[in-house]
Amino acid sequence: MLTNRILTLCAWAGPATVVVALIGWLVAGVLPIPLGSESSVEKVVNFYSHDTRVLAGLVISTLGVSLVFPLIAVIGVHMVRMEGRTPILTFLQLITGAATGVCLLLPLLLMTTIAFRPDRSPELTMTLNDIAWLLFITPIAPFMIQNVAIGVAILNDKRQTLPRWVGYVNFWVAFSFIPDPLAFFFHSGPFAWRGIFIFWLALTTYAIFLIVMGLTLRKAIRESADPDLSAVAATAA
Amino acid sequence: MTHAQVRGDPDLPEFLWGSDGVEDGPRPSSPRPAKTRPGHTPGEAGLWIFILGDMTLFAAILIVFLWERRSDPVVFGESAHQLIQPIGAANTLVLVLSSYLVVRAVFAHRGGRYPQARRLVAAAVGCAAVFAGLKAFEYYSEISSGHTPSSGTFFTFYFVLTGLHLLHVIVGTVLLLAWQAMLKGRRSWTGSQKVAEGIASYWHMVDLLWVAIFTLVYLVSAE
Repeated sequence: MLTNRILTLCAWAGPATVVVALIGWLVAGVLPIPLGSESSVEKVVNFYSHDTRVLAGLVISTLGVSLVFPLIAVIGVHMVRMEGRTPILTFLQLITGAATGVCLLLPLLLMTTIAFRPDRSPELTMTLNDIAWLLFITPIAPFMIQNVAIGVAILNDKRQTLPRWVGYVNFWVAFSFIPDPLAFFFHSGPFAWRGIFIFWLALTTYAIFLIVMGLTLRKAIRESADPDLSAVAATAA
Repeated sequence: MTHAQVRGDPDLPEFLWGSDGVEDGPRPSSPRPAKTRPGHTPGEAGLWIFILGDMTLFAAILIVFLWERRSDPVVFGESAHQLIQPIGAANTLVLVLSSYLVVRAVFAHRGGRYPQARRLVAAAVGCAAVFAGLKAFEYYSEISSGHTPSSGTFFTFYFVLTGLHLLHVIVGTVLLLAWQAMLKGRRSWTGSQKVAEGIASYWHMVDLLWVAIFTLVYLVSAE
């Protein structure tokens, strides 16, 4: 069935987001070691001066993070099934999900813009780099609201469209974003923006979110498409 | 009921099928067959992903804290002496007591003794309030004597760890109040076991995390 194929593709967009964005960042040099708040002006200017490679990598990563949109859509479709008549959490997830996509996209576009004219005054490059990174790391509320909405919907769902542990994973992912605003307060150490409890933790748990949602949704789509399983469930109910 | 009848109006998108008033009617997406397993997991298995994930995160922060302490044990020791240890110790006892009350409340709820369970949960909420009050006083006296999150690595970790923990206490209090509401409505144990045990497990985690923080930040660092 075509619908199921589209749903499955959208579910795979979750893990694909991680893969494509990471490839982009590796090409650009954002990974393995990103620029930090304590990086010198020289280092920051130098990073953006390899224009073609940095530009290409960042463009790939903007394409990568945009793959989160199909995943948000397919999460929404399943949340409507969970919620029934008044799908308030579904709408909440769609709205905040759209905002998270923009929150991911904007800083990367800003970084691409920095690399567009690397010979500008170093001070400007420094400022723009600060804006890009802080914009990237700190707006956690849309992400957390999205995770909590998904988690609550899953735990309230009697039909168990998605397994209940996925709900708890969402709560944990939301919790892991809480330290991120500390990036405003520290210029070095584990709570600065490239610190272990800020960039690395958020990167890890957001990747877990994208992969877990993608894979469990793919399974749910396959099970609801399988006529044998649906028939068994119908008779059981 | 045959499968064909379950399917809704074919003109509607599939995800709107069956949303026309049949609240618990079978849907194309089916309930999973419940797995029966020997033994009993408090709450439910999925909850433990959250609890263990949460504890892993706190453990990671504590490990980095101890790692940083190695490079400057003297300053860490001096800073730890600035903390008000009696308040930390009192808070530890308050939380251990609240954990005990929660255990008693689980037994009371299981036995159908609703008024007793409500009193016990209310007492646990009272403990949480005492904890938060003492913590607020501690923060106040530390900040007013010039120890802020930006005055050195020790205080950064101290405020981050205790702040994250206090957030857990607040979430836990909300959960305890939800449990209280369930007891008020005399929700039977069979219908509320998962939730009640889940809330109790979460509360024990909050207690356990505090014991770890108190030991490492207040006591070990002051050595």
